Amino acid sequence: MLGRLLFSNFRKIFCSLLLCLIAAASVQRTLVAQQKPSFTVGWSVYVGWDPYYYMAKSGLLRKWADKYGIDIRVQRFDYAPSLDAFVAKNIDACAMTNMEALDMPAAAGVDTTSVILGDYSNGNDAVITRQNLSLAQIPGKPVMLVEKTVSQYLFERAMTLNGLSGQIKQVKYINTSDSDIAYAFLADTSKPVVVTWKPLVSQIMKAKDVKMVFNSSQIPGEIMDLLVVRTEVLNRSDGSGQKFAKAVAGAWYELMGAMEQNGPAGDKVLSGIAEASKDSLVSYKEQLSTTHMFYTPQSAAQMTSSPDIKKTMDLVRQFCFSHGLLGEKTKSADDIGIQFTDGSVLGNSGKVRLRFNNTFMQLASQGKL
Amino acid sequence: MSLLKLHATPNRTTAWLLSWLLFAGGVTSYFYVAEQRHKDNPDDRVMPTATQMIKAFQDATLKPAEEDNADDDAAPAPLFTRVRSSMLWKDTIATGRRFLISIALLFPAVLLGLHMAMFPYIGAFFLRFIQFFDKIVALSLLPILFIAFGIDELSKIMLIVIGVTPTIILDTFNLSKGVPREQIVKAFTLGAADFAVTYRIVFKQILPRVLNSIRLNLKAVMLFLFAGEMIASTDGLAYRIALLRRHMGMDTIIPYVLWVALLLFLVDLTMHAFNRKLHPWFQE
Repeated sequence: MLGRLLFSNFRKIFCSLLLCLIAAASVQRTLVAQQKPSFTVGWSVYVGWDPYYYMAKSGLLRKWADKYGIDIRVQRFDYAPSLDAFVAKNIDACAMTNMEALDMPAAAGVDTTSVILGDYSNGNDAVITRQNLSLAQIPGKPVMLVEKTVSQYLFERAMTLNGLSGQIKQVKYINTSDSDIAYAFLADTSKPVVVTWKPLVSQIMKAKDVKMVFNSSQIPGEIMDLLVVRTEVLNRSDGSGQKFAKAVAGAWYELMGAMEQNGPAGDKVLSGIAEASKDSLVSYKEQLSTTHMFYTPQSAAQMTSSPDIKKTMDLVRQFCFSHGLLGEKTKSADDIGIQFTDGSVLGNSGKVRLRFNNTFMQLASQGKL
Repeated sequence: MSLLKLHATPNRTTAWLLSWLLFAGGVTSYFYVAEQRHKDNPDDRVMPTATQMIKAFQDATLKPAEEDNADDDAAPAPLFTRVRSSMLWKDTIATGRRFLISIALLFPAVLLGLHMAMFPYIGAFFLRFIQFFDKIVALSLLPILFIAFGIDELSKIMLIVIGVTPTIILDTFNLSKGVPREQIVKAFTLGAADFAVTYRIVFKQILPRVLNSIRLNLKAVMLFLFAGEMIASTDGLAYRIALLRRHMGMDTIIPYVLWVALLLFLVDLTMHAFNRKLHPWFQE
């Protein structure tokens, strides 16, 4: 009975559904036409990037976006997928380190501009060993880390700085996913060395018989956390890309100011930020203590235009090249150009793919946003 | 229009052409989009072109893995030795070994399911627990697996065992239960003993179906194996894919994925042929 009823009405139902669809589609189209330019920022959980979540949640970003007449969405990703999304041009801006900015988007031909230098790791990344093992004893032993990331960079810099660069080849890396590396190291006592980052480092350090033998505070300023924007977005002819960068920078430095305050006001902001990673205020503060945040736009702009950044990027690109991170086609580390704030280019100036830009940080420091 | 009728009979050529249509569509649209993307950005790595993939696959099959120290000035070795020392070969051997061990471990599971169905006490002992265990999402228990089995080979194989064997056990159990009671009674009246009934009446009948069930679960085995290799390992096909994802080596990843598909297809085909040879009476 029901079947027959349905069948006889099938045509009607089908037609009305079709009408609904067409109506919905046309409404959608008119809505899109009226929309303001919209941008998406991708971020992943990390002490220096958690503020993006709070920026969106607290309405701070909304305020700045409205000022410039645009829409900004903030979306959380896992780190690797956020990079994929940025390279695939699904998102307009993304929080990533200087190394990934070079070996992911820039090496994949996506012209990328760093607009905000948020912080550098000042102890967040660490090499941890068991049984009082020193760096010199590591060759020949297995090391757990996420291969081809900042962790491996840190480890090889540690070996190089201690005159052990010749023995790096004898180290056996075990590629371990960052979501499981803390458990895996703690559970399997036969593995003596792990290289990872906070908050995982803090968890691991709570265990007995472990020792931190090297951390990123020994290579200050080399692991930088940036907000990068696709250059084509930034240079859009309608100027909306510039507005986007200004709005984000404005909101970012207003939040930085709020984070820096002492006492309950600052704590309230910090616990709001900690919530982004389902973390506690105490733990977030502990992570901040090993992160060199650039709270003021002056300091960030100064760091971005300092000569040190050229040395750092040279080390990073040599590492990326010697580990094949720039791709098979890349014949030398010079293949990809990196442009600095003074206009000088490291590598191929005909193929600049990574640009450091301090315009927006300077505008923020001059209060011109 | 008789094309879409139940009684429509496409001739051989049409059926053959139709069966390849979706492949052709998929491949063409891929290369079309890849072409577009490369026009837009010659360095695009998300969708490599055919030449890039062929080049990457040649490198994978003919060049040693990057972690092995290559002697650049060594005389060019014969093709066979070059393939033997290549990245693809090394990864395939590592993954294949884990895969075969896991498949071998599925056979005790079949026997357990059979005994559970035939011997009520064994059934009562295991059934409830395994039904519960079957619903556990093995991946979420990883930290415990690490503690119990370390992070080396054993934990990867256990992940597969925990993930796939309950399904196989329950399936064998149900298949064995499905053998008509009359046959078992008849066998007893003809003087068969317990084990004769179990192995020569029931097991013989369900074996082709069990093999089919294992074939259907090959993909699950591979999925768990890949998950395990991506989490922590030093070699294997999924290890390589996880590494290459770090810098978007899609030109190697896509051939790797196709290679895995081909291997799985071949294993499936072999098991199918084997099943046919062993049980010519079995009608699917």
